[in-house]
Amino acid sequence: MTIHSIIFYLLSSVVIVSTGIAVTRRDLVHAVVYLIFTFFGTAMIFYLLGAPLLAALEVIIYAGAIMVLFLFIIMMIRTEPSTAPLIPPGQWWPVIGFCLLYITAGFLFMYQEPDFWVFLTPAMATPGAFGRFLFQTHWLSIEIISLLLLIAVIGALVLGKPAGKKPNKTNGNRI
Amino acid sequence: MTLWISGYILLLVKFGLVLGCLLFLAAYLVWAERKLLARLQIRYGPNRAGKFGLLQPIADAVKMITKEDIIPAEADQSIFLLAPTVVAATALLMFAVVPFGESLAIMGQRIPLVITDLNVGLLFIFALSSLGVYGVALGGWASNSKYSLLGGIRGAAQMISYELALGLSLVPVVMLAGSFSLVDIVNAQSGYPYILVQPVSFAVFFISAMAESKRIPFDLPEAENELGAGYHTEYSGMRFGLFFIGEYVHIQVLGALTAVFFLGGWHGPFLPPFVWLLVKMIFIALVMIWIRGTLPRLRYDQLMALGWKVLVPVSLVNIIVTGAVILMVG
Amino acid sequence: MDPVNTVGLLSPWEPGIFSLVLFGALVVGIITVLHYISAVIGEQKPGIEKSRVYESGIIPTGSARLRYPVPFFLVAIFFLIFDIEGAFIFAWAAAMGDLGWAGWFQISFFIIVLLIGLLYIWRKGGLEWGPKPGK
Repeated sequence: MTIHSIIFYLLSSVVIVSTGIAVTRRDLVHAVVYLIFTFFGTAMIFYLLGAPLLAALEVIIYAGAIMVLFLFIIMMIRTEPSTAPLIPPGQWWPVIGFCLLYITAGFLFMYQEPDFWVFLTPAMATPGAFGRFLFQTHWLSIEIISLLLLIAVIGALVLGKPAGKKPNKTNGNRI
Repeated sequence: MTLWISGYILLLVKFGLVLGCLLFLAAYLVWAERKLLARLQIRYGPNRAGKFGLLQPIADAVKMITKEDIIPAEADQSIFLLAPTVVAATALLMFAVVPFGESLAIMGQRIPLVITDLNVGLLFIFALSSLGVYGVALGGWASNSKYSLLGGIRGAAQMISYELALGLSLVPVVMLAGSFSLVDIVNAQSGYPYILVQPVSFAVFFISAMAESKRIPFDLPEAENELGAGYHTEYSGMRFGLFFIGEYVHIQVLGALTAVFFLGGWHGPFLPPFVWLLVKMIFIALVMIWIRGTLPRLRYDQLMALGWKVLVPVSLVNIIVTGAVILMVG
Repeated sequence: MDPVNTVGLLSPWEPGIFSLVLFGALVVGIITVLHYISAVIGEQKPGIEKSRVYESGIIPTGSARLRYPVPFFLVAIFFLIFDIEGAFIFAWAAAMGDLGWAGWFQISFFIIVLLIGLLYIWRKGGLEWGPKPGK
């Protein structure tokens, strides 16, 4: 165990535990807070594996933008939190069954791979190297992404604007 | 081994000095703000505690600590406690990447005068300020008070809008310096500060920075005459104090960042480097206080229009133009 | 890909990630201490009136778990889209010198497409708040 792998397992357990807590919360705002911890841990794993730029972008985009969007959506559709158990007792068996299936499949794949026990050499992708790689080899994908984002902007506007209703009459604008 | 132990001690001393300076200055920035605002409004300001009211920050601190911390009956307790922590911690952590000098030589070792020199330092700041949004949004929500909720919603929407402009306005600085590291950015400005070549960026950054710190003219999340105190209406005692610390440390950090990105950081003649950074930082903070004393509050539609219709397009066009100019010049 | 230098990982002389983690721990520690001492020293006299939320002095009218209005959701989603755009622009800015004019044309196309998107939501009133003046 090198110090790298100790930190890696520590961070992974933080990620898994906080995700587990997040998906079992009844209060959705609490779930969002735990999910932020998850993304934070993931970002630190990225940093550990030598991708500082991706680590920063993980926090900025996932923890900073997507979770804010989640929070806004939760508060937009907010209803009283239900007190019923999250998973009805009858549904526990399929949950456990699928979990076991995935874990065994995962282990099988891992041990059948001959290169499984190869140690990763710690490497560092500097932001400059990342940018060069991205724009020299994948520039066409980036242009396509820009068109996708354009479509996303238009779609969001169509979804968000109430049809046939003056936007300035909604009571939200008074806040 | 003894070298390492003394190294750790020196490291802790450095951290202690940085945190001590930040918190001390935050306390006296409040005093300076109250004095300066009072003078702008032709009154005296605090003048009872000590000479010129200089002991006022200490009195305030004692008051904050000894007051009762009230949690509203229907508040969400854990998130109610988390929110001020997030605000204060993100503000203090942002200073970690700000360089305040070149390096000191003690015991034959080079002590870097920066807490951490990340190669993504600028994005680190950007990430922390996007986490700071949660302090406001969750603090407003957890209090279960209508004023707080409205302040929280307004604050979150305002902060994310201006964060965009803040990030985009710094792209030309990264292009000029060729690095995200704040140490490299300061070193690249040894000849001339970037405000001379990037005045547009500077203006966009400064306006968005003020909006990020939620101060007049951008203080809609805590507009006193509409919302009580906005997202921290229900907070009292030290938890309110943490919001306060967060706000004033944030002002200093934004001052320091303005200095690092546009005013040459710690570069300057005659005086030692950290004094130069301090001078620039305090100057920016005083300008912010001056603006607070001068301008009225914006309306919400004006606020959003300024962010989305002016600052974002201007900084996007500025990126394209700067790129072309840099490539043409060489 | 440069190999990572792990020699100075825990060295107190390097301004690296270790230094940042220690600083972060110190910041969290100070804030915890502040929470703690105010809980110990501060007054403890709870009361019904005290724990009632502030609504300008009257008894609160119902829960404050109001629903967010839709325009804020729109702001959040626009922010997300432009934030992703920003990520690509930052990646380009870091390598701008090496990418040269080809990179500039690529990012210019990218930015112009997004500016068209911004212009579209602007024209369609996606950025409007409150009543228009003169109506």
